[in-house]
Amino acid sequence: MARGWARPLLLAIVVGLTTWYATLLATPFVLMQIAERRVSQVSGVNHMFDAPLVTAQSRAIVRPSPDLLYSTCVFDVSKGVVVLDIEPIDAPYWSVSVFDHATNVAFVTNNLETHNKGLHLAIFRASQIQPAGYAPVKIAGERGIALLRILVDRAKPVDMINLQRRRSTCRQTGL
Amino acid sequence: MTQTQRYILGAALGCVVGLLATVISVRAGALGNMESIGPWRTGRDFGTEQAGAYTRAIVALYGLLALPASEARYYTAATDDRGAPLDGRCRYSISGGQLPAKWWSLTLYDHDGYLIDNRSNLYSVSSIELPLAEQSHWTVTVSPNAQPGHWLPSGTNREIALTLRTYLPDGDGRHNLNPSQLPQIVKEQC
Repeated sequence: MARGWARPLLLAIVVGLTTWYATLLATPFVLMQIAERRVSQVSGVNHMFDAPLVTAQSRAIVRPSPDLLYSTCVFDVSKGVVVLDIEPIDAPYWSVSVFDHATNVAFVTNNLETHNKGLHLAIFRASQIQPAGYAPVKIAGERGIALLRILVDRAKPVDMINLQRRRSTCRQTGL
Repeated sequence: MTQTQRYILGAALGCVVGLLATVISVRAGALGNMESIGPWRTGRDFGTEQAGAYTRAIVALYGLLALPASEARYYTAATDDRGAPLDGRCRYSISGGQLPAKWWSLTLYDHDGYLIDNRSNLYSVSSIELPLAEQSHWTVTVSPNAQPGHWLPSGTNREIALTLRTYLPDGDGRHNLNPSQLPQIVKEQC
């Protein structure tokens, strides 16, 4: 009887370990997919979405920072290079980060590094042509999320910062 | 039972146990559970290709789109200094001083990683809102009831967690804050 179960039990262990590791590997992709879908349902793909300050009701991402204003672009380079034109913002800190579909950071910078100047990024994959005048951000895969984070004082109005961040755009090009 | 049926049962059992093990291990992990410093846990390879599968899964669950260490370091605490789980029904004093970063913030979350609902919309305390006199020594109180000074309401949540973010940390975030730099979490009343 025990001999009859030895190999099936060995199979159970092998399948268990394989399932565990495969699920672990798949988790970031699945959760990124959910985040991309949640944001793009509101704003579409390759468009900047200026989210309001997060509150207890916010569910787009876990552990959001209440000290930051988030502007988000879910990008898809499958039909062309996507360009981000970020205009300078009058805030003590702002940063731009680009995440690929595997949750890796493909690019990050902040206003101290840009000396409070604007930023022009082209997001593309290896087979695409980089547009002139844009800093290159080569990504693995086709989709991902670009995030503009802006430090604010919640006790003060953010109207001016909202006006400034609305000048930043995310769009697909014909390249 | 035939041998074929045993193999099918073994494979099915393996699938179920493997899936459960992932869910349990990832949910039990905390953001940046790579290193523990007192009650605080942190990691350095968020958002990088160097992050292992386990770290990557935990970050995706608890802090998707977290910044790399050069931009921000994340420290989370789900226990007090004595190792007891943080309980939103209790009152805690969190105290600290200047941190080696451009700015920092301390945020309170519920067990699922969302902000805790409160009438005053108080979710965090950051260094930019602290008066100069308090920069070198500050105290934040976590409590379900209103408190003088800097108060983070914990509502009626049993399980709560703190996240300390240090932005543009000194040394490009290569080094962890040491125990004397990290805030102390002391339970005052329960």
